Amino acid sequence: MTVAAGIGYALLALGPSLSLFVAVISRKPFLTLTLLSSTLVWLMSLIALSAVWRAFLPFKTAIWWPYVLLLLSSVALQEVLRLFLWRVYKRMEEMLDAFADRVSKPRLFITDKMQIALAGGMGHGVAHAVFFCISLLTPAFGPATYYVEKCSQIPFFLVSAIIALAFVTIHTFSMVIAFNGYSEGNKKDQYFAPVVHLASGMFTLINLASGGCVVGIPLLYVMAIATLLHCGKTVWKRLTENRSRETNLQ
Amino acid sequence: MESGSVLETIGQEIVGVMAPVSVCMLLVVLLVYTVYNPSSSADAATSIRTAANLVYMESPTDSTAQKLEGAILNAVVFVVIITLVTFLLVLLYYYRFNNFLIYYTRFSVFMIFSAMGSSILISVVQRFSIPIDAVTFYFFLFNFTVLGTLSVFSNGIPIIVKQSTMVMLGIIVAAWFSRLPEWTTWVVLVALALYDLAAVLAPGGPLKMLVELASSRDEELPALVYESRPNVGRNSVARDSSLGLFIEAGLGMSSDNNSNNNNNQNGSVELQELLRNGGRDNAIEVQEREHLVIAVDDDDERTSRAEIEEVREEAGEMAPLMERQSHPNGSGNSGRVDNSRQGIEMEDLNPRGIKLGMGDFIFYSVLVGRAAMYDLMTVYACYLAIISGLGCTLILLAVCRHALPALPISISLGVIFYFLTRLFMEPFVVGASTNLMMF
Repeated sequence: MTVAAGIGYALLALGPSLSLFVAVISRKPFLTLTLLSSTLVWLMSLIALSAVWRAFLPFKTAIWWPYVLLLLSSVALQEVLRLFLWRVYKRMEEMLDAFADRVSKPRLFITDKMQIALAGGMGHGVAHAVFFCISLLTPAFGPATYYVEKCSQIPFFLVSAIIALAFVTIHTFSMVIAFNGYSEGNKKDQYFAPVVHLASGMFTLINLASGGCVVGIPLLYVMAIATLLHCGKTVWKRLTENRSRETNLQ
Repeated sequence: MESGSVLETIGQEIVGVMAPVSVCMLLVVLLVYTVYNPSSSADAATSIRTAANLVYMESPTDSTAQKLEGAILNAVVFVVIITLVTFLLVLLYYYRFNNFLIYYTRFSVFMIFSAMGSSILISVVQRFSIPIDAVTFYFFLFNFTVLGTLSVFSNGIPIIVKQSTMVMLGIIVAAWFSRLPEWTTWVVLVALALYDLAAVLAPGGPLKMLVELASSRDEELPALVYESRPNVGRNSVARDSSLGLFIEAGLGMSSDNNSNNNNNQNGSVELQELLRNGGRDNAIEVQEREHLVIAVDDDDERTSRAEIEEVREEAGEMAPLMERQSHPNGSGNSGRVDNSRQGIEMEDLNPRGIKLGMGDFIFYSVLVGRAAMYDLMTVYACYLAIISGLGCTLILLAVCRHALPALPISISLGVIFYFLTRLFMEPFVVGASTNLMMF
């Protein structure tokens, strides 16, 4: 029974990504490699952050502003990383196109580009879920469970799985939005990802208050759903534009 | 609709190697986590004596300096033994004792499956209290062992069976090695990575000699290697050379101003490069094996302590990843513009995939298994580090085009990430997420 609970938590956090992985990413080896390297980049950013903040931990729980600083620095670093990933991706796109010319295959389709962005974003999301949720699940496979004082309504593992699901969604799809924004020079989309990331990080601060998770988690899900909808809209717009352009050409 | 997408061709060979390594690591972690975890079962504390800790047995009460000294001594002895055995192997191979080597390898595979495999199976049965009688147990074990032994060096066996046998072999030996004491494990891993670097790359290194000897004779080495072969012929275009071509394309892009006429005269250069790629097969061969002498000292099964069973075991070894150079076929000279035809030709001529030594499987998994004894977080970090190291090695292979050691990059990344995670990341992440604060 407890094993079932542990697996259940893990699937709650990573189930959607798992099905996305099987359906889209595992079909194309290059996307798998993108996913892995993006996960590694995220892990390195986490290690760098923790090396910096290690000296100051643990905070006294009464004061909340160090947490704000920590969140701000983390989000800032990860957004810088997103820009860096974009640069790398541009180089990679040139290489891929050169390669495609050389083996006389079509250049990257627009769906290919978006899938690369999706894989990169999923790398971030999966790394988040793995390190903040799955790696703490070990006790959940045992006979007991654990409650955090501040959020005593539901077990800690369930809360962290739910939060991780929201963050996986946000990371995965905001990468697609951001890459679209960069490639089209659309300022609104470029700022969408950092703002959403920062806002959802700030919403988790509400959890520091006693019983705050009742408010914080729904707000987090509002952000996740907003990201999802915006991503769907952007992708749909680009696809239809692309299709009309193709039909014009013909 | 995306049938022609280049994303499907690039990286196939990398993923083809990464997938079995991942499976092997996953299973070793599960095994270590459930069966050998010190907190979960009491009888896991039985220490073993192998060639890797001949000199010094670690005990928790020793001081750090003592542990370090003993671990370094162990590692030195281990590497010296491996070096000697590898030289012996080169000697045997040089004088064409091929049949001896093949039968010896079969024998050691048999011993690994029957002795070590049964011991691991028994501890699994004990741990989960599986109701099984001795007759059934030995029946399955015997069948399994025979199948495994037969599938080494025989052509009639489907490749998938061979591959899964190799993965099973890796799991068994890795699970065995992960019972080494902690300090010894780390030092031995680092020492092996250094040894691998020297043995494959240094002039006169035993593995380099072995690989060169094998490719000059144009025959398979009688060693335990995992062979990844694209078993679906769905997409034959430029499969074998796609990575090399891709990287060349990238290098041409980036070093444009160097003007090594890569981009300027597209037509002719392209032809040449295709020829070059067509002539070689991108096979990476890893071959090397080493024989470890393991003296198993199992207190629980045998009553008399004095009865020491020697299992001669041969952990086929760390990857001199190499490309075998085969003779370019004459027909290619006329017109290699038609890529798909070329791809098919290449497949027919060289049905070889990337080869990775069993030792790489084993020591990657030992590292991850050791990480699993601390926490799951270190497991993920080490997994990512090792896989990315393997990816780097494969990319380097496509650039350098000769045998490469697969251990050094992966093991050093894995060790670095393990200690960084353990020292820095874990307190940070646990502190943040128990406050339900995430980003």
